[in-house]
Amino acid sequence: MLMFTLQLLVAGIATGSVYALIALGIVLIYKCSGVVNFAQGAFVMLGAYLTYGLVKLGLPAYVALLGAMILMAGCGMASERLVLRPMMKAPLVAVMTVTLGMLILMKAVCLAIWGPDQLAFPRLFPDGAVDVFGIFVTYNYLAAFVLSICLSVGFLAFYQLTPIGLMQRCTADNPRAALAIGIHTSNQISLAWSMSAALAGIGGALLASLNGLSLGLADIGLVAFPVIVLGGLTSLTGALVAGLLLGVLQALTDGLLTPVAEQFLRTYTSIYSAGALQQVVPYALLVVVLLVRPEGIFGQRGTERL
Amino acid sequence: MSRPVLAAVLLSVLAVIGTLLLGRFGAYMMHAVAIAAIGALSLNLLTGFCGQINFAQAGLLGVGAYAAGLAGNAGWDLLALPVAGLAAVATAVLIGLPALRLRGLYFAIATLAAQFILEYLFKFAEPITHGVSGLLIKPMTVFGRPIQADQGYAIVAITLLLATFLVMHWLRRTDLGRSFLVVRENEVVAKGMGINVARTKMLAFMISGFFAGIAGGLIGFTARLAHPESFGMSLSVDYVAMIIVGGLGSMPGAVLGAGFITLLPEAIQRLGEIFHISDQLSALREMTFGLLIILFLIFEGRGLSAIGSRLVSARGWRTRQGGRAEPLELQKIKSSQGGLE
Amino acid sequence: MALRARDVSIRFGGVLAVDNMSLDVEPHEIVGLIGPNGAGKTTFINCLSGAYVPQSGKATWKEADLLGRQPHELIRRGVVRTFQNVASLHDLTVLDVVKLGQAVRHGNPMRQLRDMLRSERARDAELIRTILQPLRLAEVAHQPIQSLSYGMRKAVDLARALAAQPQILLLDEPVAGLTAQEGAMMSRVIRDVRDRVGCAVVMVEHKMDVVNATCDRIVVMASGARIFEGSAAQVQSDPSVRRVYLGEP
Repeated sequence: MLMFTLQLLVAGIATGSVYALIALGIVLIYKCSGVVNFAQGAFVMLGAYLTYGLVKLGLPAYVALLGAMILMAGCGMASERLVLRPMMKAPLVAVMTVTLGMLILMKAVCLAIWGPDQLAFPRLFPDGAVDVFGIFVTYNYLAAFVLSICLSVGFLAFYQLTPIGLMQRCTADNPRAALAIGIHTSNQISLAWSMSAALAGIGGALLASLNGLSLGLADIGLVAFPVIVLGGLTSLTGALVAGLLLGVLQALTDGLLTPVAEQFLRTYTSIYSAGALQQVVPYALLVVVLLVRPEGIFGQRGTERL
Repeated sequence: MSRPVLAAVLLSVLAVIGTLLLGRFGAYMMHAVAIAAIGALSLNLLTGFCGQINFAQAGLLGVGAYAAGLAGNAGWDLLALPVAGLAAVATAVLIGLPALRLRGLYFAIATLAAQFILEYLFKFAEPITHGVSGLLIKPMTVFGRPIQADQGYAIVAITLLLATFLVMHWLRRTDLGRSFLVVRENEVVAKGMGINVARTKMLAFMISGFFAGIAGGLIGFTARLAHPESFGMSLSVDYVAMIIVGGLGSMPGAVLGAGFITLLPEAIQRLGEIFHISDQLSALREMTFGLLIILFLIFEGRGLSAIGSRLVSARGWRTRQGGRAEPLELQKIKSSQGGLE
Repeated sequence: MALRARDVSIRFGGVLAVDNMSLDVEPHEIVGLIGPNGAGKTTFINCLSGAYVPQSGKATWKEADLLGRQPHELIRRGVVRTFQNVASLHDLTVLDVVKLGQAVRHGNPMRQLRDMLRSERARDAELIRTILQPLRLAEVAHQPIQSLSYGMRKAVDLARALAAQPQILLLDEPVAGLTAQEGAMMSRVIRDVRDRVGCAVVMVEHKMDVVNATCDRIVVMASGARIFEGSAAQVQSDPSVRRVYLGEP
């Protein structure tokens, strides 16, 4: 039982670290430009498909990964310049909807080019697993975890320690003040979007290597929202921690809670299956968090002065 | 009778006549648009008038469909639709009680969560909803007589659409309607003015929910089926697109937007057949949808209704709806002659 | 029918914005609340009107507790305030705003139902006659407040407050941003309202000439605390007041 749980934990931590990567991107954009990017899921999906496409063109796996990351950075920048910048003064609902529009558009483009079926994602990491005290950690999980954590930590280091990171933080904290002291805020915002898209793209490739490549990857973007609310919409560390937590929660739900729930349901009701419980649990958790502590674990409550 | 009311009644009569003259396909289009318009007006109340972004509209429609289906199958006749409305109101209350304490963005995310939870429940509350196979729904009965033809449903839908429009038109001019608008503009000011913001938002959600339930019930009856896949997130996005494309806060806009978004797939289908690219049809449809949302929001933020009123005023007509005043330029001249001088 | 506030204090992070402030307001009197910028006058009013919840202190209105209550509750008890910055509320007209002011007074659904059934025109006409006319706003009744000048928007905010049938009016800088002429007019309006409606008034203000002309009694605040109270003449000659306004002699 313990071994089984630990095995689940391994899977959970691996996927959770990828969620964290994706959520980091969303929080980055939110901090910098106040926009909730519903299209993040589309960046995830597009990154995976681009990696696939580049490999199909003959590039070695790691070059393809890098290439996809660069292309996604460009994609993020283009989205910001072409779509979000003209919408700067629009009401919140309009901006949220325009990101949804981008999600729909990108999904449709991928559908048109690669079709609706699941595709075989190229092997990025060698087969096989490492035996850690009886728990099998596949190289895939290991690599996903290591890469995600390195990128996340690397990104956080960049954000906290470098001069450009400082400019990013200034822009996020107070755009007007940042502009007043000479920071080119619009460039900073473009940068935020491109980094965010690049991170999402890598996340997509990693997720595809774990779960397969299909259009459904775009929906991961929506799973990220419970993550960031849990972590606090404005906290990067929060996104990291919450991502890991959520991955673990999903794995444990799938492995432990679902069988128990189904047993219960089958005994007392005529319901046979509990279905995709692990997909709904993040949202149920989201509701609880919103009730109890809307600013999340690491976020800060806002105050308004009259 | 004021001008918008008159226009609405006339248009409804014309629509009914049109339905009777058009063939089966025309009638089908008519009722699809009318039902979507009821759903769009409902969402417009909550999001357009009261400023609360709602991604759970599809879930509420689904609740209406299942409720109407169950009631109709049990022989409740005309009561099936009000029951659907009330079921959706109850759902709205359940969602709203925790969610309405949250502001703007967080409320939107909460409704996102509610939408996914509702989708899950549709799939897995099998004894009630029959899960993934869907709930079969018998035709709607009116005083015992079943409605079988598309024309019949179209007439019912148009009549209910007119009723919905009239109720919302009246509501907007009451104190409650005015408080919706103030809450939308600035919650802090609304609170300071003494408006009970929490109660106002909840009432908006409940009234919106009622009409969503009615629309959902009609969807169930016309499709003869309530299926979890039909009430997913993409339908919620469709409705948000309808009110934005139509013009946020505008009732005629909501109706126009509903027509536009509903007829769009059909138009694409025709175009695809003409240009012989039928195999990529669904991708093309989605691409156009996404592109339209983006372009509309960037270039004409105030939607079709703004385009419409520009056309109308270009001909020298000014609309005077209850409470609305004349163009701003004119007032700036007048206002310098009143007040504390 | 009086307002009694004792030792009200509120702190924002490290800043003590209101420091043990006490105030008594008797029925029908107009009290001026003055002081330099940052003295905590508006913050104190916010505490009394339910916008902020102070950490300590006690305040009662007609012997019932005042602090920590919601604005809509307070309005029903007759405590109504105006705002320093008048928000632009989209396309709502003057009459819409005033009707809202009246509506929040009555939470009672029966009254609301009766209002809904009564002719809109009759209700409009009555509001124009009783509230807008005395404030010279009758001509702009159907215009969106967005299109009015700042001074007129402040008058509309006052009309909104009056429509709620106040027993005590908390006015937050009623003449800020108005011309000298408009200010004098507002001063007359406030005294007229007190005489006609019979409410008490607490007026936060900077302009001394308006305060002198309007108020029966003046309370001076500085750094969150009360430092002086008296008539206009007394306030002008008191050394501690001169110090906070003009600096060390």
